[in-house]
Amino acid sequence: MVNKIFRSNFFTSMLILLMSFCLIFGVLFGYFEAQMFTELESEAGYISYAVKKDGIDFISDFNEKGKRITLVSSDGTVLADTKADVEELENHADRKEIADALKYGKGTSSRYSDTLMQKTLYYAENLDDGTILRVSTTQNSVVIILLGLLQPLILIIVLALIISIFLSYRLSKAIIKPINELDLDNPAANETYEELSPLLKKMSAQKKTIDRQIKEAEQKQEEFKLITENMSEGLLVIDKDSNVLAYNQAAVRLLEISDVKNGSVLALNRSKGFRSVVEKVLSGERAENDITHDKNTYNLIANPVYENEKIIGAVIVIIDVTESVKREQLRQEFTSNVSHELKTPLTSISGFAEMMKSGGTPDETVVDFSTSIYDEAQRLITLVSDIMKISELDEGVIPFEKEQVDLCELSKDIIKRLTPVANKRNITLNVIGDTAFVYGTKKIIDEMIYNLCDNAIKYNKENGTVDVIVNQAKDKTSVTVRDTGIGIPASEQNRVFERFYRVDKSHSKLVGGTGLGLAIVKHGAAYHDAEVSLESTQGQGTKMTVSFKRPTTEKQ
Amino acid sequence: MRNRFDEQLNNLNNELITMGALCEEAISSAVKLLVDNDVKMKENVLETDKQIDQKERDIETLCMKLLMQQQPVASDLRTISSALKMISDMERIGDQASDIAEIAEYAYGSGMESETHIAEQASATIQMVTDSIDSFVKKDVNLAYTVIEHDNIVDDLFDKVKGELITAIENKAANAEALIDLLMIAKYFERIGDHAENIAEWVIYSITGKHVGDK
Repeated sequence: MVNKIFRSNFFTSMLILLMSFCLIFGVLFGYFEAQMFTELESEAGYISYAVKKDGIDFISDFNEKGKRITLVSSDGTVLADTKADVEELENHADRKEIADALKYGKGTSSRYSDTLMQKTLYYAENLDDGTILRVSTTQNSVVIILLGLLQPLILIIVLALIISIFLSYRLSKAIIKPINELDLDNPAANETYEELSPLLKKMSAQKKTIDRQIKEAEQKQEEFKLITENMSEGLLVIDKDSNVLAYNQAAVRLLEISDVKNGSVLALNRSKGFRSVVEKVLSGERAENDITHDKNTYNLIANPVYENEKIIGAVIVIIDVTESVKREQLRQEFTSNVSHELKTPLTSISGFAEMMKSGGTPDETVVDFSTSIYDEAQRLITLVSDIMKISELDEGVIPFEKEQVDLCELSKDIIKRLTPVANKRNITLNVIGDTAFVYGTKKIIDEMIYNLCDNAIKYNKENGTVDVIVNQAKDKTSVTVRDTGIGIPASEQNRVFERFYRVDKSHSKLVGGTGLGLAIVKHGAAYHDAEVSLESTQGQGTKMTVSFKRPTTEKQ
Repeated sequence: MRNRFDEQLNNLNNELITMGALCEEAISSAVKLLVDNDVKMKENVLETDKQIDQKERDIETLCMKLLMQQQPVASDLRTISSALKMISDMERIGDQASDIAEIAEYAYGSGMESETHIAEQASATIQMVTDSIDSFVKKDVNLAYTVIEHDNIVDDLFDKVKGELITAIENKAANAEALIDLLMIAKYFERIGDHAENIAEWVIYSITGKHVGDK
């Protein structure tokens, strides 16, 4: 700004200086020349008078600095000259002033010297005797004058320079000051140069747009944060150099990161699975892998992010799959258990049958074998029907209608069915409680209570007791089966509901059963939205309770 | 220019973390082979060792390129020079892990591995390696100092194992060849501990600019 103003200032002053110079010289030079010619003319008058009076010798004696007098005859021959030797001078007839004088009585002319440094002014007059008197004087040319003026000129230029600098500095300051004092947070409210108001208006409009956009961006950021922070899945966003750009709290929790610096994602986890996912996704492919961290299993899903067909980063989602991996394991166990349980009776059956097929077996032995085959077949049937029950419950496809079921009546019925078995081991069975209705599928509830009672008898001691207590409370109806049996060790209590799980694996065959009883109870309870609880002390007995929620107002 | 440099340094950091992780994998696979006799692991260790060697060459090339093209100074120069030192220690860890894998199956036969403190020494060594890599990843000087102190534990365990093996040989408790193999494995662990300590020292140097032990 200062520079620009200074330049224009200085340029202007120099231009004015030059113009005034030209003007002065143009006007005054001509004026001075005219003045000098007048002077020469009057001088010529005096000299002609003197020449007429004293003759040609006057000229020879004339000695005045700066002036030169020449006497030329009418044919152009120089007769006398104050500055030069007459003999050496050529004929002057062709000189303009001489020719003019011959023609008109007088003539003037001016000529520059060879070096252009000086200008000579000539005035010639025709004397009465036919000779021509010429007076001349020299004058300094413009160049010489300019050279003479050089010093003051430089002074003026320097002065103009200083004044220009000072002025431009002051001026720019004065111009800038109100601009600097503008309130840019509030562009429209300023009162300043009129010329600036379109700019300020534009700024004001832009400021409003920017404010709005920032607000929108913040809102979006907030939304994004809310969404990601409330995800249970971990989320990592990385750039193409695998630096972490964004992450959510779930990622921090899952990967157990203490402090996230915005550095390499490999600093968060450097396990093989994680590395291969990062590597693969940054090469542009979708990657998926399971990694184990401590005892948890995480599923990583990574997708590359493209911009203009170039990979600019990737998004990695971390899902905790510990539960489902565990469940998958249980399913596998179940399948192998089922095949094993199915195979055992079949092997016996096949063995006995093979022996009988070969013939020669005594009749009593055939009866024994048949009994064994029958028993094993029965076991197989029970097992298959149990498995079917379980899978029905699993799938939730129950081919029976729900109805009001009286737990007390049902329990009595079950006890009646089990009495023969109980009597064998001299176990006393009791049903305690009054009529209590629950809304459910009778067949399944029957199955549940039957299994509980069956277990209570199977795992009881000789002369033990089994109590079935039906209780109706305010918000729930429950049935409890209490025995005085061998109990379940605390360490096994949370596993007994698993399919095929046996506390005492070695005696399972002796006791009978399929290992699916409690699993059926658990699934049945889940189907009825009921809860199963277990209290047991090893060696003293077990108490199993199924609590059905009571519908608060309406019947379903 | 600086951007490009930062990108390359970043790349170097990533490569070092990867190489460190490979070392951890190599040694923990070797230990699985030794302690649990998980024979699948042998192939694993040898494969990982190959990858470690390849990584060492890659990182070396990268460091050379950085030194020549960028002519780094101050902390950048320290980072690169300590990276060069660190990778040779890491490479040695990989080599020793594969040495362990080579003889572990013979040693396992003696049945002595469960009766000595070698499993304990192994897990202490794994801990050292993990911590030294962690200290690099997190730029954690304190953790690096912990690693250096931890080396004494591994050394003491080596002496303990050595004593136990001497007694076993005197008592002819097992095949002497297997016992010697076990002794060598114990020595390898001790060496790996030393390399982990070196890595920790280079981590400290790259962060603070001072060598451990310098006042």
